[in-house]
Amino acid sequence: MAVGQTESEKEIIRLKRQLSRERKARIQAEEIAEHATRELYEKNLDLNRANRDLEQFAYIASHDLQEPLRMVSSFTQLLAKRYRGRLDKDADDFIAFAVDGARRMQGMINDLLAYSRVGRPNADIVPVDANEAYHRAISNLTGTIEESAADITHDALPVVRAGNAELARLFQNLLGNAIKFRGDAPPKIHIAAVRDGAAWRFSVRDNGIGMPMDNREKIFDLFKRLGSREKYPGSGLGLAIAKRIVERSGGRIWVESEPGRGSIFFFTLPASDGGCS
Amino acid sequence: MTDRIDAGPVEILLVEDNPGDVRLTLEAMKESKVLNNITVMKDGGEALLYLRRQGPYADAPRVDIVLLDLNLPVRDGREVLAEIRADPELTHLPVVILTTSAAEADILRSYQLHANCYVTKPFDLEGFTAVVRSLEGFWLSIVKLPRLDSDD
Repeated sequence: MAVGQTESEKEIIRLKRQLSRERKARIQAEEIAEHATRELYEKNLDLNRANRDLEQFAYIASHDLQEPLRMVSSFTQLLAKRYRGRLDKDADDFIAFAVDGARRMQGMINDLLAYSRVGRPNADIVPVDANEAYHRAISNLTGTIEESAADITHDALPVVRAGNAELARLFQNLLGNAIKFRGDAPPKIHIAAVRDGAAWRFSVRDNGIGMPMDNREKIFDLFKRLGSREKYPGSGLGLAIAKRIVERSGGRIWVESEPGRGSIFFFTLPASDGGCS
Repeated sequence: MTDRIDAGPVEILLVEDNPGDVRLTLEAMKESKVLNNITVMKDGGEALLYLRRQGPYADAPRVDIVLLDLNLPVRDGREVLAEIRADPELTHLPVVILTTSAAEADILRSYQLHANCYVTKPFDLEGFTAVVRSLEGFWLSIVKLPRLDSDD
């Protein structure tokens, strides 16, 4: 077969073979890629489904748990009201623990319900004036602000794309967090916003107790609490709700902090004047 | 209030299927200054029979005011409210919705069906007691309730 073939004929055959090998490899690679894409797509569908189920579960669980808990809480309170000092010291203690436990669980369930409600219908992403949302948050926090003598200032805030009630809740949770984790001095909090491409980057700066950097991811987890319950009451859901609100609008939330030197919470939200790509 | 005593106790119908809530309401009403009689019905169907003085309730007194839960077995509170408003004999009755639901849809629907007011049950005892007291103060002392001739 090789007899009589010229060098250039041999070269052509070699090139043809190489070409055919490469074509096969390319087809194989495409098949693998296609398969992987399909698998990824299906995994993504599964993940979305699992997420939806989880949300549904959290909603139903928190909603349906409220009813029996209300009974526990009401009747232990009634017991405390009618029988305090009429049984003995132990009984008073036991009742007080039951009342306190029920009250805390109610707080957690309320917050879990709020968490699972983020992104439910009637919370459409629309242009929202952050100034308005900020003022609603402030009015919801009136008691806490007066009690702690907090000094809260803010720059002019932009219009962003978010859920209307959710943005107020976001400010409320971040401000509430800043006030709760205050140091010895009255809280000083400043809210600012700077344009960053198609988004606005907000910052909430406080003069509170701060935190070590290795905690900066954990604080956004569900039911995660860093301080003691006695000193810092709450369900441990405030920042998890904040994170969920921000991420649902396509933004990001993070914190920069140092123990004893305050914290700055940052979050981004898409600007309402487009540029979204 | 003197008219009230002359006319006999205020007849209240509480339509509520949760025994805990029934008890809480009764406990809160215990210290009421207004002479009253509370009857409890645990489902919507029975409540309507009682209001219409039908079946086993032929001798029931005329009800002056209804405290109505929304989520009830057999016929729920919305159906009971709609029936009350559609019945010429009952349509005048003040109906207070007293429910755990804070859903906008339930609130709107209840007023569309001409509920007289809509109250969400507070979560703690103090709040619940305060609500029952306010309802009592408003509906049994402040406002004038319609009274049909006791026998027609």
